Amino acid sequence: MRRTILIAGCVIIMGLQGCAATPYDVVGDSAALEMRSVQTREYDTLGKPMAMRAVIATLQDLGFTIDQADLALGIVTGTRLQVSDMRMTVTVAGQAENQVSVRANARVGEASITHAETYQDFFVALDKAMFLVRNNVD
Amino acid sequence: MNAHNRQFKTTCQVAALLMAATALAGCASQTDPKLLRLTESTLDIRAMQTRTFAAESEDAILAATAAALQDMEYNIDQIEAPLGVISASKVSDADSTSEFATRLLLDLLCGCGGSQFAADKHVITITTVVLPSLAVQGEFVTRITIQQITYDKQARITSRSAIDDPDAYQRIFEKLSKSLFIEVNHNA
Repeated sequence: MRRTILIAGCVIIMGLQGCAATPYDVVGDSAALEMRSVQTREYDTLGKPMAMRAVIATLQDLGFTIDQADLALGIVTGTRLQVSDMRMTVTVAGQAENQVSVRANARVGEASITHAETYQDFFVALDKAMFLVRNNVD
Repeated sequence: MNAHNRQFKTTCQVAALLMAATALAGCASQTDPKLLRLTESTLDIRAMQTRTFAAESEDAILAATAAALQDMEYNIDQIEAPLGVISASKVSDADSTSEFATRLLLDLLCGCGGSQFAADKHVITITTVVLPSLAVQGEFVTRITIQQITYDKQARITSRSAIDDPDAYQRIFEKLSKSLFIEVNHNA
């Protein structure tokens, strides 16, 4: 019986150890290269300024307000206020004429979003906004 | 006695497993994978948040928008003119008039500062985005999104949400329309 209690104690301590917060999570814990590929999509339909307008429209479609937008640096950051705050930064890098690389990363509260599905949904929404901006439907 | 020991042992094992599972579950990421999925109401919300205005230039409509935001007592947090983006915010009193009257009365009765009976606060953030129409020269599509956070008297967040009241957007667009009219006539 003492052995069982000892094992139980060890398991709980091990479990809790997994939760022990490091003092400052300055480098994150995601697999950088893998996440970068999940968070990035190449487009060859719009130049950088119009692609950025499509990104902003997408963020608005998804309920964000824009905190920062900088055309020269190709960076847009937005916040969505729900049960937890969601913040998203999208960078647009011009590759060639009408070719851009778009990378998005998002956090909800204290957690980074690592679901590939979430980023796929974002790019599906961006595809639609790109189409609307390109055809000036909006 | 032996059976009792065995039962106790099993209970300990189950408890250990449950506690370990609970401890580990606390560490798992709890984000919903569908957080960034467009909803069916997206088109309706977009229509509510969007109006088309005629203006002589994108700068003119951006200036009129900034002026309208000032009229509505917002502070401008960021403008990125090449992208047509203006972000602004304001802090306002979230208490109703009756609550305000009660607060005032309490302040008067106890003769203390307002901090003890401080009001709830709304922090409202607004983004306006102007997009020149490629189809019609001199027309600009303006889209507005608004969100709010409410803090209680102890500065704790009590709610945060998007503002999706069509009347709020309608009133802002009316202000913007007037501001644009003033801007045009001022520069004429």
